Amino acid sequence: MSTQDKVMINKLPTGVPGLDEIVGGGLPEFSFNIIAGAPGSGKTTLAHQFVFANATPERPALYFTVLGESAIKMLRYQQQYTFFDPSMLPGSIRFINLSQVVLEKDLGAVLDQITKEVEKSNPAVVVVDSFRTMVRKPQSDMDLQSFIQRLALFLASWQATTFLIGEYAEDELRDNPIFTVADGLFWLRQTAERNSIVRKLQIIKLRGQDSVPGLHTFRITDAGVQAFSRTFGLSAHKRNPPSDRRLSFGVPELDKMLGGGVREGDSVLVAGSSGTGKSVLATQFIAEGIRQGEPGIVAVFEERPQAYAERATSLGLDLETPQKEGKLEILYLRPLDLSVDETMHSILSAVQNIGAKRLVIDSLAGFEMALSPGFRADFRESLYRMIFALTGIGVTILSTVEVDESFTEFPFSTYSISFLTDDIIRLRYVSIDGQLRKILVVIKMRGGNHAKDIREYEITDKGVVILGKRLTNYQGLISGIPVYSDRPKSPDETSLDTGMEHKT
Amino acid sequence: MTAFPQMRDLAHRLLAYEAGVGKTSEPMESPALRVYEKLRQNLVTFAGEAAFESLAFRALTQAKSETSALWAVQVAADGSLQGLGEIDTQTGMDKDRAGEEGIILIARLLGLLLIFLGEALTLSLLRNAWPGEAFDDRNSAYGRKS
Repeated sequence: MSTQDKVMINKLPTGVPGLDEIVGGGLPEFSFNIIAGAPGSGKTTLAHQFVFANATPERPALYFTVLGESAIKMLRYQQQYTFFDPSMLPGSIRFINLSQVVLEKDLGAVLDQITKEVEKSNPAVVVVDSFRTMVRKPQSDMDLQSFIQRLALFLASWQATTFLIGEYAEDELRDNPIFTVADGLFWLRQTAERNSIVRKLQIIKLRGQDSVPGLHTFRITDAGVQAFSRTFGLSAHKRNPPSDRRLSFGVPELDKMLGGGVREGDSVLVAGSSGTGKSVLATQFIAEGIRQGEPGIVAVFEERPQAYAERATSLGLDLETPQKEGKLEILYLRPLDLSVDETMHSILSAVQNIGAKRLVIDSLAGFEMALSPGFRADFRESLYRMIFALTGIGVTILSTVEVDESFTEFPFSTYSISFLTDDIIRLRYVSIDGQLRKILVVIKMRGGNHAKDIREYEITDKGVVILGKRLTNYQGLISGIPVYSDRPKSPDETSLDTGMEHKT
Repeated sequence: MTAFPQMRDLAHRLLAYEAGVGKTSEPMESPALRVYEKLRQNLVTFAGEAAFESLAFRALTQAKSETSALWAVQVAADGSLQGLGEIDTQTGMDKDRAGEEGIILIARLLGLLLIFLGEALTLSLLRNAWPGEAFDDRNSAYGRKS
């Protein structure tokens, strides 16, 4: 059978931002779906969003309410969401209450009533909210499984896409014959983790679609449910091939040490203790990008965007104008209960809005603190997914990380994340000649040449400025307590400012 | 309730509309009952009998506090109204007063819908119940006769 002979399954918009990507492009038309979860997990809101996104006067949506929440109260609350368009009622969206039939008769009568209404309206979408309340009533002629099977068959024949909404606990998922009938099974969870509520959505099954597996975080806002895919909405994107292009740091001597600059699409880690100039270097990196026509995003967690821009001004770097011109966005992300996926969504939206080529995350410690406690355990894994996704679309990422200054070791990061980064620049204090001075060294540069020099630098009103030649008269610089060495200089030391080492 | 004067106007319009229709079709039925029944049928469809019955009972209680003439009127379990026709009969010599009781009751019911559903959905419901009537929600608070 050729591709042309196969049946085409239309994909309907879910009306839930982020969910289309998770379900593989949209919900299969005429599918029979169950939305399950605990009370308050967002089941009804999700169904409403789908209804409002797909109902038309010609092919309306029928929304059957059974026992449980009163339709009047439900509409009172649901109309607070921005997606709720009252003008669609009752022409495109019709609410029908079945509680009397359920209370006085049996499931057969309920099925008859639904059949009658469907035949009358020829709907594109049918929702039964909540079908679980019917189960709790002792049944007579028809059991629930038989009811669900007949309902599914009937609604598929009438070319309706259907949602059954039900309150289910986790352990009810196993061995439940009702779920075998469904084409799609959406499970919504909400759990309290320390002081934060974490909401997660899982597509347990979705026939005929390549949905994104795993648990996806979601949030309920004024706009309704918003889902955040684990793949950050980038699953459809192919990874860009590695680039040989080098991006300038805006610090000429550092560019030389990096063999011409940071490779485009790399993830760079700038590590150092407090006051060593990590943020200054990051600001120079982003400002240089803007100067070269590469829009940038700065995600800050520890200071407000205004303060960040003002500090840049003190270094002679104008971040106000590019913000007004749409070439720079400074994101302040610190609501303290974010998931990495939500943070990523904000960053990705900003990246896509301005076509950003450079991203600064200042800092990883602030980023971790901004996350809901429940997500901190997964910080490394989340960071890996984020960096992989962003560098894959050609964004060069510079992250700063604070490390505790130690005089016995030389750590690069407290997160053991050096494997996530292509390049590492380490800043640190050293005690020389009765002064606390600063040194910089390029630790690692994946797939490129970089200098092995240890260079002294200062933070001036022009930012990070690397001084003179490499420090050749000291032993043990990286310990922070070097020893003066009066050994004679080798011929190369007398002539070179920057030595290159090839690394593969 | 600040919206009550507008609800009275709207109730008056609906009763007047049904009185006009009733002259040709169902002259024996009170306009207030016809308005009530149309609201009941529409609301029961989407909210259920129990929800409508609760709402109607509350509206009737409020209306009874305004006029003692409604003291014998009751809301049945299915939400239907019992006893309003008898008031019409008793006050047959004073049709304006009989209309007044109906206006009060319908205005109270509309007022509750406004509180719970908001203006847009209430007008949407009224448009569905009275497709021939214009309920303009752009230029006035709760409608204007076309």
